[in-house]
Amino acid sequence: MKLSVQLAPKNKRGLLLANPVMTASGTFGWGTEYEHLFDIQRLGAIVGKGTTLKPREGNPQPRLAETPCGVLNAIGLQNIGVEAVIKEKAPIWAGWRVPVIVNIVGETVEEYASLARKLDGVGGIGGIEVNIGCPNIEAGGDEFGAHPDSAAAVTAAVRAATSLPVMVKLTPNTGDIVGVAQAVAEAGADALSLINTPRGIVIDIARRRPLLGNVRGGLSGPAIRPIAVYMVYSVAGAVKVPVVGIGGIASASDALEFIMAGASAVQVGTANFTNPSAPIEVLEGIEEFMAKEGVEDIAELIGAGRG
Amino acid sequence: MRQVVATVISNEQLWGEHRVLGHLKFLGAWLIWLKCPEIASEAKPGQFIMVNCGEECLLPRPFSIHQVSDDGIALFYAVLVSGKGTSWLSRRKKGDTIKLPSPHPLGNGFSIVSSSKNLLLVAGGNGIAPLYFLAQDALKGKRSVTLLYGTADNKRRSIPPHIKLVSATEDGTVGHRGMITDILPDYINWADQVFACGPLPMYQAMAHMSELKNKPVQISLEVRMGCGLGVCYGCTVKTRNGLRQVCQDGPIFELDDVLWEELADGGV
Repeated sequence: MKLSVQLAPKNKRGLLLANPVMTASGTFGWGTEYEHLFDIQRLGAIVGKGTTLKPREGNPQPRLAETPCGVLNAIGLQNIGVEAVIKEKAPIWAGWRVPVIVNIVGETVEEYASLARKLDGVGGIGGIEVNIGCPNIEAGGDEFGAHPDSAAAVTAAVRAATSLPVMVKLTPNTGDIVGVAQAVAEAGADALSLINTPRGIVIDIARRRPLLGNVRGGLSGPAIRPIAVYMVYSVAGAVKVPVVGIGGIASASDALEFIMAGASAVQVGTANFTNPSAPIEVLEGIEEFMAKEGVEDIAELIGAGRG
Repeated sequence: MRQVVATVISNEQLWGEHRVLGHLKFLGAWLIWLKCPEIASEAKPGQFIMVNCGEECLLPRPFSIHQVSDDGIALFYAVLVSGKGTSWLSRRKKGDTIKLPSPHPLGNGFSIVSSSKNLLLVAGGNGIAPLYFLAQDALKGKRSVTLLYGTADNKRRSIPPHIKLVSATEDGTVGHRGMITDILPDYINWADQVFACGPLPMYQAMAHMSELKNKPVQISLEVRMGCGLGVCYGCTVKTRNGLRQVCQDGPIFELDDVLWEELADGGV
């Protein structure tokens, strides 16, 4: 049975995953936090926490609100900063079999480029995921990923700054996800991952104010799954680069929906909180499905559910 | 390692109440015993576990470990009218199974200095949750334990055996009439260490107490948590030593480490 997928076929280094099951940024720490719970080396890839140029403190409490089948979060990108990631985390990853992808976030195009430049050539880093769901400070605060031109500008700058495989993580907070996807692919992305969290607000009616310290947050969990499958379906039909599906995946059948919609791989996110071994259960469930259905190669399933 | 599947040994309502505290409406308190030898054997007072509370709760809920036995642990929990997770938990019956995401007890736990002889425990209401276990554990070490326990009345209490109990009740049915922090200053001199668990206003009152300034005081902090494993950064608080994750660096902190004025009332 062949489970391996190549997420960066045009990149010299390539990004070969032993299987299509990854963990989503912000839900799996640096990987080390789960090492004592299960064999994380069995995963297809691990995506690290969103990393910025300088360490960030994040948003005030409360940062989390549970919603029907979802979680609204406004962590605010609390992280240790890229220098600490390179110095403290990358040397650990260098000894791992599982590839680790660093998720980067900037407030300006130049910040993204600078992050990519610093990560280029660092041992232990298998690729970069570019989070373009961050407000563009220079252009009034819309997310970079809301418009094809700003999304492409970030992608091109990162592309020019590194030879690492570049996967761009698309935000659903746009009226033109397909246009953004095409622009990003054109600008040199090796792969696309989607979706990031749709924006949301929860009001605390007893206190008559927004529940989250940051007012608004990003929604994750099964609540967003059909939206994510729709966007993966739409994007996969419009670009030639590999697509990675994200959004409320907790089981193998959830993952297979994304794969059949056209995703070459998937990321498990919020499910890690209730069940740390969810990614392994997703992987084993995909293997069982393939065995039962007589599927020899996962490639046979990618896009198999497109009408 | 898969999730732990713990069997419910018993789940009883200790008392009922329709109490309103600010915006929180309570239905009462419960005590649940879970069979999970792997956690019972490792658990230290002040540590907690995460519990998956049914299909409607996407996030697991944190609970302090209240008591331990050879093969199980007990959780003491108050049920809120609006509490999806605790309501679900209160409906579990003997023999039901409950999933725990982590096979290990979580958090740092209280630490008793080996030279400490006199331990002062301060519980505000449901804050008895981790202190019961601490009281039992401390007695094993031949220490003298005094529990200052503040509650609404004399009925709604979970009192650990063999300790010296000093009570305060809001309705005056037993002990001092008023808050436990009213009488706390009288006992501070005696104590080598102070351990406290209670609502935010209790900690804020303690933080302003001049008598506590040079005393080692450990408190248990509760905030909204996502994962319990230090990965989601949902429970970050600001301390004098920088940002800390309550689930990993806590939930036990030194009283004067926490920046109380920065801590929002999260309605937990």
